[in-house]
Amino acid sequence: MISNIKTNENKLIKMSIGGYVTQPSFKNPGYIPNNDGQSVIFPGMFGVVNNVKVGDRAFGWAGDHIEPGVSIDSEQINEHFALHYLVCTGNKAIIRSGGAKGKVGIVTGEHARNLIHFDNKTLEQICVGDQIDILAHGRGLKLLDFPEIEIKKIDPNLLKSMKLKIINKKLIVDVVIELPIKIMGSGAELNSEYVDQDLMSGDRELMKKLKIDQMKLGDLIVINHADHKWGRSFKKNHVSIAICIHGDSVMTGHGPGIMTIMTGNKKYLGWNISKNANLKKILKIKI
Amino acid sequence: MKIDTNENLLVNVSVMGSVCQPNFQSLPAEPYRLDSNGSPFLLPSWGSIVHNVSVGDSAFGWEADCIHPGVSIKYPNEAGNRGLNILSCVGNDATIMSGEAKNAKGVVTGKSGRFSEQVILHFPKKIREKISINDKILIKSIGVGLKIKNFEDVFCKSLSPKLFNQMKIQNKNNKMVIPVTHIIPEHLIGAGSGLTSESGSLHIQTTDSSEMKKYKLNNLKLGNIIYIENYDSSYQHGFLRNAWAIGIIGQTNGPRAGYGPGITILMSSKKNNAKPKLDSRANIVNYIKFIK
Repeated sequence: MISNIKTNENKLIKMSIGGYVTQPSFKNPGYIPNNDGQSVIFPGMFGVVNNVKVGDRAFGWAGDHIEPGVSIDSEQINEHFALHYLVCTGNKAIIRSGGAKGKVGIVTGEHARNLIHFDNKTLEQICVGDQIDILAHGRGLKLLDFPEIEIKKIDPNLLKSMKLKIINKKLIVDVVIELPIKIMGSGAELNSEYVDQDLMSGDRELMKKLKIDQMKLGDLIVINHADHKWGRSFKKNHVSIAICIHGDSVMTGHGPGIMTIMTGNKKYLGWNISKNANLKKILKIKI
Repeated sequence: MKIDTNENLLVNVSVMGSVCQPNFQSLPAEPYRLDSNGSPFLLPSWGSIVHNVSVGDSAFGWEADCIHPGVSIKYPNEAGNRGLNILSCVGNDATIMSGEAKNAKGVVTGKSGRFSEQVILHFPKKIREKISINDKILIKSIGVGLKIKNFEDVFCKSLSPKLFNQMKIQNKNNKMVIPVTHIIPEHLIGAGSGLTSESGSLHIQTTDSSEMKKYKLNNLKLGNIIYIENYDSSYQHGFLRNAWAIGIIGQTNGPRAGYGPGITILMSSKKNNAKPKLDSRANIVNYIKFIK
């Protein structure tokens, strides 16, 4: 935490945007191919995941692409994209309809839907289709002393709660683990303002060797030689900081998803390994 | 001399809109728009509930593209939305009819133009978190048909009699003297020209910083009443020597070329029958009682 980090927070717009709790959905017959070509069927995406939360492990579940907490979306395609381009991790969410009306949660990331954490008591009252509004705040956020570093989709309060240091005019961000660029996979085809990128967990031995299989949902991670400013690409001496937002996958080219929050040249952006760099601790999330 | 109108003949009609969502194009379209230098940007734009920007605030400096202060509404189908857009007048009273903020009172402060076509309303900041996307808001519209006695050549647009009566307009030697904060030359009017003047917005062009300085436009505020020279909005928006138009600043500046602060036109005439009078207090917040 740096008390004097200068931002343009007072110039940012705080705007409401609504989504609806999704229903778990499958394409008939529901199977997906795993790394060995076998057909498997797993829950995890969409809806309300009652027992997997930010702070829990990303690997090892009998699930695929597990989205912790509540996943919301809009069936109107242009609203879907507004949800993805404007909602920021750390934003406040307010339930607008149903049994949990009025309850408040917090955005913990973005996969194919926006992911929101609510406490256990609230989860039990939420129904598929309930409307949840998010107070989108953070789009356009800049570090005034680091114009070369691009910030993506984090609430200004999350930035203030993260452990940051300035050493030799370089911003140092606490992260749990460094991921090698060669394992970055699905998501490279998308613009870097939209959803996430999966790390490819197919080489199980490497996952174990590098302790990537111990990653937790909500972990801050770093990828060296990754430039995520205008897309997701390999670029020497560029650094991207991201949050692990969904669980592991059995599909080739897939694995836990990471959502970019900072990207820039290594001259200005660096990292420090700390196992405390997880959203659950940073945002003081209550289960 | 005070100016009379046909206020007692106007029809008061209820029109409804729902609080609308921000929208973005779907893939494979890129989410970025281009600024006036050709650089891509991605910032919040029109629509929705904006919690921290209100009429009376600066129209410049926000990390935003033509943001609407307060709350924006739309009717779900096009013809109904056209009804909402044409009949709503700046200064009309609005009431929230559903949700947690039900019965809260607001005021129409502007309209937005082509591609969004929303009506912009002020509600107190402290109740905005209670307002939900899709909440219904009813406007008691009155103002379409407004005529000014002895100035029959002046077209009133989107102008409630309530606001007109507070604008401190006077008749001096058969000219309307209208208090405004800024005079804007016609060459700085951009997006909106050629479109209808019964709804929608016109935008000031802000790309040329020396012109901005020359006409002191950098201190424009949301809600300011402004005067446009040589501009005729009697039917559609277009250039005409000696014509004039009065408008209100409805939305903020944006980075795109031709898209500076938006103006909702309130009055216009082809005749040389009005004179602007510079007055820094010519803002809707000083004319209509607002709860901040």
